Amino acid sequence: MNAHKTRSWRLEKMATTLIWLFLIVACILVVIPLVFMFTAAAMPARDILRMPYPWIPEGFYWQNFWNGLRGPEGTFIFIRNALNSLIVAGTVSAFTVLFSSLAGYGLAKFEFKGRTLVFMLIMATMMIPFEAIMIPLYMVAMRMGLQDTYTGLILPFLANAFGVFLMRQYLITFPDEILDAARIDGASEPRIFSRIVLPSSGPAVATLAILAFRSQWDSLLWPLLVVQSDEMKTIPLYITKFMAETHSDEGIMMAIAVMASIPMIVLFLTLSKYFINKDGLTSATKG
Amino acid sequence: MHRKRGFSMEKKKARWGWVFVTPSLILFAAFSFYPIINAFYESFFNRNLLSLRPPRFVGWDNYIYLFGSKDFWLSVQNTLIFTLGTFLPLLVFSLVLAVFIMSIKRFRRFFQMAFYSPAVLSSVVAALIWLLIFDPRGLANQGLNALMGTAGVNYNWLSTTGMLRLSTIVVYFWKYIGYFTVIFVSGIGSIPDTLREAALIDGANRWTLFWYVTLPLLKPTTMLVSIMAMIQCLKTFSTQYMFTNAGAPTRPINVITLNIYNTAIKDYRIGRATAMSILLFIVMFAFTWLQLKVSRTEEVSHM
Amino acid sequence: MKKTSALLLIALSLLLAASVVGAQTIELTYWTHTDDNRTVIENRYIEEFQAMYPNVTIKRVVNEASKMGDLMLTAFSANNAPDIFNLPIEQEYGYMMHHRVAPVNYKAIGYKDAQDLASQYMPGTFDTVTMDGQIYGLPLELTNWSIYINKNIFRDAGLDPETDYPKTWEEMIEVADKLTLRNGEIITRRGFDFRYPYYLVAMLPMVEQLGGQLLSEDGKTAIVNDEAWIQVFEWFRTWGPHGRNLGSPTYTAARKIFNMDNNDIAMCLTGFYQQGRIRVDNPEFYDSGEWMVVPFPVFENAVNDVGCSYYGHFMMVNAQASAEKQEWAWKFIAYMLDHGWEYLETVNIIQPRQDLLDDPRYMELPYMNVFMDDMARSHMVFLHENGFQFERFIKEAIESVMLSNMPSDEALDILRERIQEVLDDSY
Repeated sequence: MNAHKTRSWRLEKMATTLIWLFLIVACILVVIPLVFMFTAAAMPARDILRMPYPWIPEGFYWQNFWNGLRGPEGTFIFIRNALNSLIVAGTVSAFTVLFSSLAGYGLAKFEFKGRTLVFMLIMATMMIPFEAIMIPLYMVAMRMGLQDTYTGLILPFLANAFGVFLMRQYLITFPDEILDAARIDGASEPRIFSRIVLPSSGPAVATLAILAFRSQWDSLLWPLLVVQSDEMKTIPLYITKFMAETHSDEGIMMAIAVMASIPMIVLFLTLSKYFINKDGLTSATKG
Repeated sequence: MHRKRGFSMEKKKARWGWVFVTPSLILFAAFSFYPIINAFYESFFNRNLLSLRPPRFVGWDNYIYLFGSKDFWLSVQNTLIFTLGTFLPLLVFSLVLAVFIMSIKRFRRFFQMAFYSPAVLSSVVAALIWLLIFDPRGLANQGLNALMGTAGVNYNWLSTTGMLRLSTIVVYFWKYIGYFTVIFVSGIGSIPDTLREAALIDGANRWTLFWYVTLPLLKPTTMLVSIMAMIQCLKTFSTQYMFTNAGAPTRPINVITLNIYNTAIKDYRIGRATAMSILLFIVMFAFTWLQLKVSRTEEVSHM
Repeated sequence: MKKTSALLLIALSLLLAASVVGAQTIELTYWTHTDDNRTVIENRYIEEFQAMYPNVTIKRVVNEASKMGDLMLTAFSANNAPDIFNLPIEQEYGYMMHHRVAPVNYKAIGYKDAQDLASQYMPGTFDTVTMDGQIYGLPLELTNWSIYINKNIFRDAGLDPETDYPKTWEEMIEVADKLTLRNGEIITRRGFDFRYPYYLVAMLPMVEQLGGQLLSEDGKTAIVNDEAWIQVFEWFRTWGPHGRNLGSPTYTAARKIFNMDNNDIAMCLTGFYQQGRIRVDNPEFYDSGEWMVVPFPVFENAVNDVGCSYYGHFMMVNAQASAEKQEWAWKFIAYMLDHGWEYLETVNIIQPRQDLLDDPRYMELPYMNVFMDDMARSHMVFLHENGFQFERFIKEAIESVMLSNMPSDEALDILRERIQEVLDDSY
């Protein structure tokens, strides 16, 4: 009996060690490109593609960041472009949360004729790949005079089917008793929504906010169509501009990559506690 | 009288329901429904973007052309290869990683965050980084050479067909592995401890616990992850776009979305591009419909 | 009596006010591609022009050259294009054909008519932008490419740049091989690398040297002289990773790193304007004179001596702009372009103006004789409404052969099929 116990204990120990090893190696592999990005940003271009890669930079080559900020014409337009990305992503994120939670709440807690149809219709839009509608969408935007404007960059993305789906899933489980009690107390529907429902949707709202922000920050195709002037470019457009014709200094590119990623990293670090905990996502975001 | 009051309250509720839903509906109508209907309409015409002449009605010609086009079927093949090649490893590895993470006591959050971190970067940035890594002088070659004990072999990450496809898969895999791992962790985490303890008392070891308890209970999550991953892969664009713009050959990674973009913007064939978009839409419709069906059944409790 | 004259006065002054208001501020939008040097001088021209004509404002927008084609297309297709723009001629061709751009307003810029304008430029300048006797663009630059050489690297490899430079494409392979440094299979220094995306300008002449053509004389058949095409495909295969491993489109473009003189590229294919960039990027390299320019190579068995094609950028005006805007647009364009010598000196781009070419300083510019000789044996880049679609097909063909190791005849067949399909299809 003792021997049996020891053997399975040893197997367990071995299994645990292997699991740790696997996790650590996988973790390193996943993180290496990020480390590469940060270290490469701090070295001059000719060192980046040296063989072997000199992992530790000899001092911080700040010129990369300076030149990245300066931009190819020396106008520091990157700052303006970064601001644009922030404004667009932030606005889309905020309004997406608003509209999606409104719609999700309506679909989850109110019964009305045609509710299922509306829900199905909204879900159907999730299956529309952007490339399918980009040209007609562009025509719509043009006709409304939205080219090269913030509105043009923001408007098409306020309707987010996934957002509606997420909020609906989350709000379905919201206890009806609280809502009914508030109604009996004489609170109006908008008040109930803004004072009771929305504040207690923290995890879902945070998840949606992050996802919407990230997807806008990332967005390349739509700005490529809509933005015409240098000032209104967003970060991905700035990057492709830099890469294209004149110079493609790798060090500067990595520095720009770092600078472009900072807001997302900050957001991630601060908000991740909402959706990554030791048990994974909260039930709100399982959908 | 009581009934009448209840009835009007329902009506009031119904109206509020519409009020809440309408803003989104208007936006959807303008920016989703109208464009896709317009796209469907366009696919029956041949329009030259530059010409001021009205477009020419061609009926089903664009669709007939696509079904007979080698180029189109190559795109389908590329998309399928990419999707299967990405989502299968994503599925397997995210499940494995989730199980491993849940089987250790500490550092769970650390590992999840580490795996999730690539998802934080934009795809343009990710493409930039990997283009440098896959450069012949870059880390990929150095790493593989070190691993295989060879010296100076160029594995042609961005040149040969097979390697190029692998490269795009690697980038996508890297970006999304954390995302799906976290979902699986949540799935495992929602399995009540009582079940696990019961199984352990019954003499299950780590392996049988996984195989006979965890995995079956994870079936809905697995299905969900598969379909989400598949849809995400079908939509891939930025990676292939950035790679082909940086000099990689187009043919091996000309996925449908890239084909649509090039057909519309570079060849000006709006009719053909929208026809392709409609076909893609139909495929994605089928998958998303599946996903919704599955997530519905997932709402059924674990008991 | 007084009342009526008062009324008349009011009416007259209203009319006057109206005409002043009518000569409202004109705002012109001008889109062009990035070029640091050109941006500086053109911004100055804008200020000067606006000072001369206070009712005119000009907004200049830059985008990178590779995106300009897409941007212009989407803008025009939405009827939302800028008033003034420039693109390479092979991309502008379609706009002219579909009457999306306006003919030059000869009187506004001081010429009697089209012939008068044409006589001020090198013969043949306007051939490609003339339709039904009207000229549709003013040339910003006419450019051809020749081979720049980094002398240091030649000597480092034990070669003499003055005599050992490649005169044929076969020699190019051998010389590049001697200059190439590798770590195993991985190239760390290239001898030469091609100007990859621009196949119509740089690669098609290679085919023509061997007697091949992209289209038949009547423009109805794709690909003439298969052997010529296959020889060129095979040359590229030899160049790539499955051949002698001398370069590939996946490495950084040669002309972008040539200026740095960083021992990573010995030769590149680029135009006269490159010198301006070298001067700005790396003045020591420029002043040291350790660079030179040599002619575009030919094949040993060439039947035609064809140099790298030249292309042009023409300034064009949107046909949908109002007549008044168009007039101001042409005025502004002419004002800018009148600074021919400054464009040449600062930006190193050549307007084919007769007064410029006759200027004695012209031929004394470094290696201008090489460029001019090369231009003399070349022709304008291949033009066709679907030109850049063809270029994309050629790009994919070469990539398949070079990188995916596809057999040349298979790639050629696919190319032929795709071009033929476009030719047979008519809107």
